Amino acid sequence: MDLETLLRVLRLVAFILVLAGCGNPPSHSAVVDDEPFLSLVETLGGADTVGYARAMETRDFDFPGDHGPHEDFRTEWWYVTGNLDAEDGRELGFQFTIFRSSLAPTPPGGPSSWSTNQAYMGHFALTDITNEDFRAVELFSRGGGGLAGAITEPFEVWLEDWRLEGLSNDAAFPMRLTADGDGVNLDLILESGKPYVLQGDSGLSQKGSEPGNASYYYAHTRMPTRGQVQIDEEHLEVSGLAWLDREWSTSALSDGQVGWDWFALQLSDGWDLMVYQLRREDGSPDPLSDGVLISPEGLRVPLEWGRGVLVEPTQTWLSPVDDAEYPSGWRIRVPEQELDLTVTPALPDQELRVAFRYWEGSVRVSGKGPGGNEVSGRGYVELTGYAGPSLQEGAK
Amino acid sequence: MNLLSRSSVRYLLKHRLQLILSVLGVSLGVAVVLSIDLAIQSAQAGFRVSAESVSGRATHVIVSDGGYVDESLVASLRIDYDLAAVAPVVEGFASSPSIPGRAIRILGVDPFLEGPFRPYVAGGASGLDVSRILTTRMGVILGERLAGTAGVAEGDTLSVLIEGESWDLPVVALIKPTDELTRSGLSDVILMDISGAQEVLRVSGKLSRIDLRIEDGVNSLAEVREALPASVSLQRAGTRTDTMSGMIAAFDVNLTALSLLALVYGMFLIYNSVTFSVVQRRGILGRLRALGVTRREILRMILVEALWIGSAGVVIGLTLGFFLAQGLVGMVTATINDLYFSVAVERLEVEPLILIKSVLLGLGATLLAALPPALEASGANPRVAALRSEVEARARVLVPVAAGIGAVLCVIGAAVLLIPTQSLSVSFTALFLVITGLALLTPAGTLMITRAVGPVFRMLGGTLGVMAFRGVGTSLSRTAPAVAALVVAVSVTVGLGVMIQSFRSTLSQWLDGTLQADIYVSLPGPSASRATGTLWPDLVEDFVSHPEVAGHSTYRGFDLIRGEDAFRLVALELDPRGERSFDFIEGRAEDVMAGFRIGSGVIVSEPYAYRRGVGVGDMVELTATSGVVEVPVLGVFYDYGSEQGAVMMGRALYDRYFDDPGITSLGLFLADGADSDAVVEDLLAGVDDGRAVIARTNDNLRSASLEVFDRTFRVTAVLRLLAFIVAFVGVLSALAALQLERARELGLLRAIGLTPGQLGRLVVTQTTMIGLAAGVLAVPMGLILSVVMIYVVNKRSFGWTLNMEIGPEVLGQAVALAVIGALLAGLYPAWRMSKTSPALALRGE
Repeated sequence: MDLETLLRVLRLVAFILVLAGCGNPPSHSAVVDDEPFLSLVETLGGADTVGYARAMETRDFDFPGDHGPHEDFRTEWWYVTGNLDAEDGRELGFQFTIFRSSLAPTPPGGPSSWSTNQAYMGHFALTDITNEDFRAVELFSRGGGGLAGAITEPFEVWLEDWRLEGLSNDAAFPMRLTADGDGVNLDLILESGKPYVLQGDSGLSQKGSEPGNASYYYAHTRMPTRGQVQIDEEHLEVSGLAWLDREWSTSALSDGQVGWDWFALQLSDGWDLMVYQLRREDGSPDPLSDGVLISPEGLRVPLEWGRGVLVEPTQTWLSPVDDAEYPSGWRIRVPEQELDLTVTPALPDQELRVAFRYWEGSVRVSGKGPGGNEVSGRGYVELTGYAGPSLQEGAK
Repeated sequence: MNLLSRSSVRYLLKHRLQLILSVLGVSLGVAVVLSIDLAIQSAQAGFRVSAESVSGRATHVIVSDGGYVDESLVASLRIDYDLAAVAPVVEGFASSPSIPGRAIRILGVDPFLEGPFRPYVAGGASGLDVSRILTTRMGVILGERLAGTAGVAEGDTLSVLIEGESWDLPVVALIKPTDELTRSGLSDVILMDISGAQEVLRVSGKLSRIDLRIEDGVNSLAEVREALPASVSLQRAGTRTDTMSGMIAAFDVNLTALSLLALVYGMFLIYNSVTFSVVQRRGILGRLRALGVTRREILRMILVEALWIGSAGVVIGLTLGFFLAQGLVGMVTATINDLYFSVAVERLEVEPLILIKSVLLGLGATLLAALPPALEASGANPRVAALRSEVEARARVLVPVAAGIGAVLCVIGAAVLLIPTQSLSVSFTALFLVITGLALLTPAGTLMITRAVGPVFRMLGGTLGVMAFRGVGTSLSRTAPAVAALVVAVSVTVGLGVMIQSFRSTLSQWLDGTLQADIYVSLPGPSASRATGTLWPDLVEDFVSHPEVAGHSTYRGFDLIRGEDAFRLVALELDPRGERSFDFIEGRAEDVMAGFRIGSGVIVSEPYAYRRGVGVGDMVELTATSGVVEVPVLGVFYDYGSEQGAVMMGRALYDRYFDDPGITSLGLFLADGADSDAVVEDLLAGVDDGRAVIARTNDNLRSASLEVFDRTFRVTAVLRLLAFIVAFVGVLSALAALQLERARELGLLRAIGLTPGQLGRLVVTQTTMIGLAAGVLAVPMGLILSVVMIYVVNKRSFGWTLNMEIGPEVLGQAVALAVIGALLAGLYPAWRMSKTSPALALRGE
């Protein structure tokens, strides 16, 4: 069973929660520190899958077509994170996410171009590691009126002026990513780098025992990236590595989890590591937690949770908002591969204080990579369920 | 309680009728002023609350002279120009059988973008299920109050008629606003997702406006202006609301002036009864003075009495005014709906300030009216105070003085009227000056008239006749105010009557000229006087191709608000038979219509030209799709359809400027010999189910228009009646008091041998003569007032020229009214005097 999917579904639920209660101005405002979404969670109870397409069996992925939207599925996302170096030596991290959600199995119809069953949510964050500056913004829109949408050919997904698009008609790569908000402007070109990785069973990521309770899932874990970043009045030429996760599904979330810790690490020797740790209501790690190593050639090496991969928090950090305690530093080991890494946040405070509060930020990696060689690296970590009421409590 | 107070109370209690009349005078005056104030303020408040809750926190709006803004501008502003607070709005009107008699505003918005503007529909705190709103086609969201009125709940459907089309719209959510402002603001609003609003209003691709929030430091006006295409204009949201509510300013001032008149009449009533009370107590007052009571104490006593009367009158007046307002607010609202804009008034808006104003007006008027008699009572020395002849002697001297002042006031008033201004307060001040001046002239006029008719009375009535008319002159201090009041009351009635009659006949003639087509087709809408919405193209096609239809004219009209300016923009495609429908003030009809046909300019209505000082050859600025264009004015035509004014252009020119093929209404010309009624029936029979359209014959439309006119003047008629009742009661009491005061004199007459019948005739003859004099004086004065009202007040208020028309019945009514009033006023004293024994009447000697 693929746990990445479950994690992403949790993210999605967060999105839907936010969507149902998008009471905050959908502007480029920087921080919103209340949590209005949780009061409306009951509207999501018993998410109905009737009428939506389901991920029942493996399928042939077709690129560049599958970069585009799959609106017959309830949910879908384009998730890009990355670490960048500026010419002058400055180090930056970014997160760019567009979530798509079908609010009903079919569009309501009618002659208006605003008529749609599609809704979009976006999060965009930039970490200026050198200057210890972190900024995050969110956006919401319907998939109509020209304000947000996704197109297969040529590939394009946009949410107002945030955009991820293929630069040619017949290939998704190079891809261009643009976003702005809170004084930050990002304009990047992403190359595919390693070939895409199909997660789960050839891209069918099973979540539960029932047929159809699954998603389609692929990722690009190491994409060479270059472009420009503008921070306030400053223009920077940047280059680095980005990571793209793509997933679409209809299934709902199962009970029991309160949050997760997610690691996406790119090592200097060409290996990439994804690790997921689901936390249960009683505080214990969920047995469904898991991890995957991707070789420099793009081969997938599954890791078995508990024995195969061990994650220990080493430090904690308190949110200035309400003293919510987050882990802030880890030791990650894969004994079988002689892997032993120390993961440190590039900045302690990379908490997104948007309608749905969580921590997602750039991290530094050092230690031993697969085979026991000394490596360094960078990556992104996502921590949810530490601040405010947990999603599951809210969902009930 | 000291002696003076006791004396006051005893006196007032002994003269209850007088007390009641005084209190009635104040209370009626206060009631009329308050009720008009309340009605207008409530209508204004209703409009403002609704406008504010609907426009939300927008600071600016983007609108277009073409009526609609292209919807793609929203994405462009948000994406290309990175403006954060931008929201599309589609607006329209609906009616619902579940909420009869009320225009409901449709507000179509995108809940995702509403946070900065209308948080109550942005989800979140309001608890709205945005996903349900988005995915339920044509779903509506209602405020709880409206839902309660309509008797619908979430999950039900609401039946509505929108621009002639019937819909059953699913109710997807109810809003429970936490603040009262939003609650009452939403009491006439149904909210829809923008997609649904576009669908039911048939405006796909278009928006009524785009709301913006431009905040210092976030983005600048200049930036926004730069981002806008030339086809749209950016306006301050507040200015638009002000402009709209300012449309009814003239209406407001006219009604207020009329209501103040009632107060003035009320003042007369007070003046009169206080005077009477002073006169009756002249003896007591003189004795009190002789006993050592100071002038100041006497003055205070009289004023305190007046204050008590005033207070009682104010309390009753406030209550009465409140009830009167309940009735008036409906009429005021109906008029505003007919003539200006849609407004729903849920309840009376009772602002403390209005109440305070009425209280102060009532008390102030009472004290002011009581002051002259109070001064008279305190002013005389103890001996002379008892002498009536002293007062009369002074009054006689005052007649020419009053006439002189009156003449001066009239001249000043006339001079002020000649000042070329559009200010209504100046005009009304002048009008009041003229009225006051004429009122001051009435004593002299009365004397002249009695002198003139004196010989006739001598011939007819002998000594008694002479006594009657001489009596009018000798009791001038009492008769003069009564006559003046009666003259003012009757002349205002005459003036208003002539004005309304002139207005109606002008309108009627204008309708005859303007309504050239045989059948008019439009959609049912919120306003009785202006067609709105867009006719279905297929229906237009069907109608014009009816075998008996020989030709047609089309009409496209929008009410435009551009900053502080508001007018109606009209595009006409005229059948040759319809070209004669204009009557030009400026420009030769053939030349103007030739230019109009080829699109070399526009024609503007008289109010438009008057209000903006525009004439032939001047330019009118319009924001066309391609940008701002200047179009020359070819002619100015008479028009009574829009007080704000109208700019009309040929359809070809309109199509060149605007991307809008819509038609608002249709005029059909029938083949010779066709029966309009039959064709209307035939046309309506062919209309698809679910559609409603209004097709009226020329005659029907004409009478419907006059009905609207009559409805408009219903408020005026009510006020006129109320003012007249106050005046009438005043005159009645004044004349009755005058005769009662003469009890001793009449007793003497009885004693020297006059029969009760003779005495009665004497009294009645005298009051009737006063009435006649008042009636005769009121006619020219009323005509003067009507001239002022027609050519100054109306022109300045509404911008249109009325042809004065004087119906004999209005004048006859006036004289009859005055005479009958005076006659009635004489009957009671005559009856009383004839019943009283001369000994009793003379006992005082």
